[in-house]
Amino acid sequence: MLVALQLPEWVEPVARYILEVGLPATLRVSAIAVTGSAVIGILFGTLITIDFRPLQVLLRGYIEVFRGLPILVTVFIVFLGLPELSSALRFTPLTSAALALVLWGSAQVAEATRGAVQSIPREQHEGAAALGFGWFGRHRWVILPQARRRLLPPFVGLLVNIIQNSTLAAAIGGVEILQASKSQYERLSFPPPIGIGEIHAFEIFAGTAILFFLISFPLTRLAAVLEKRLA
Amino acid sequence: MLFAVTYDLGAFVSENWEELLEGLVNTLKVSAIAVAGALVIGVLLGAARAHRLPVVSQVTACYVELARNTPILVQIFLIYFALPQFGVTLNQFTVAWLAVMIWGGAFNSENFRAGFEAVSYRYREAAHALGFGARATFLNVTLPIGGRIALPSSINTYISVVKNTSLMYVIGYTELTTTALNISALSLETLEALTVLGVVYLTLVWSLSAAIRLLESRLALPEER
Repeated sequence: MLVALQLPEWVEPVARYILEVGLPATLRVSAIAVTGSAVIGILFGTLITIDFRPLQVLLRGYIEVFRGLPILVTVFIVFLGLPELSSALRFTPLTSAALALVLWGSAQVAEATRGAVQSIPREQHEGAAALGFGWFGRHRWVILPQARRRLLPPFVGLLVNIIQNSTLAAAIGGVEILQASKSQYERLSFPPPIGIGEIHAFEIFAGTAILFFLISFPLTRLAAVLEKRLA
Repeated sequence: MLFAVTYDLGAFVSENWEELLEGLVNTLKVSAIAVAGALVIGVLLGAARAHRLPVVSQVTACYVELARNTPILVQIFLIYFALPQFGVTLNQFTVAWLAVMIWGGAFNSENFRAGFEAVSYRYREAAHALGFGARATFLNVTLPIGGRIALPSSINTYISVVKNTSLMYVIGYTELTTTALNISALSLETLEALTVLGVVYLTLVWSLSAAIRLLESRLALPEER
């Protein structure tokens, strides 16, 4: 039995635009944000465990400020604030969103890393030192590999958060999945030849929600499994 | 050099304080309604989940997974742009508190589910043995103990609720973020507006975080003190 699913004519170009223009942008922003957050966050989270007060105060300030600010405000600081300081710091909406997510995400990772590094017993530090490792070698080869196990579940959670929060780019006009969906909904509402003079907000935004769900749900399940294995 | 000449936070605040204050009040109003709603949703649905109430428990699980796995901005757009398609047109204020309440309620029902499930079944057995019914056991045993266990994580959710009210910028509701950015769009005092936003939000968030720590020590269960 052949069941032909007859979709209305407007669906195909809308879906194409969201998947071909929006989706790659969301993935690109998320990839930059996750990589940047991991590199900077692990570095800062390890450095804050050094017993050197000025550095600790500085890093603690960084963590508390960027974890405390609504991410949208950080997005505006990068997109509107930085160009006021220097014209060299003018970024496109998508880059601004990615940078803001790095600031927020690295603060999250730094806090998690600090906890994980401090949970490693001091004998491990002493043992590594006795083997002749310096501070860098000790952390690179002994402490961080052990901390990684504890860091994995929150890191998967961070990935989910970053993918969802990449939609904040839409607030400053960056064309990712959500902004692509919104512009298609607006286009369809125009009379022909631009649109079809119909409102399809529910179909389009429900589709957007399903798309994000399909990306997020497997990851949140993975985070839950990793969490359970750790316990 | 231009920066030093034009940056004047004092002038920005003294010229626009009435509007900014109104924005802050709107932020607090939306937050208060949403937090109160999220608390009620959290306790009721968290209890339903923890006690595996048929149907309600499964529906709650779907609600939680849907809310957690879709961006809150998409949820806001669904409420603001898609509901009118079904004849339900809500004003910006209603959309603002409703959207963050639905979001916060989902996270909060997980907080309370975990809290209620952490209450040892021995306590409930003891209550039953003393002749307490199901409702009395919940109100006198599970809620006071589990509620305290859930408190820190639920306050974290409320902090996120307050921060998420800034997202109402996308529907143009004049809470603090929209107000400050609207002023700066006309006056070009961008850095001043961003400073105000940063200072106010960090003050709100940091005081709530301090409140968590205080409450944690105050409401700690006796055996953990």
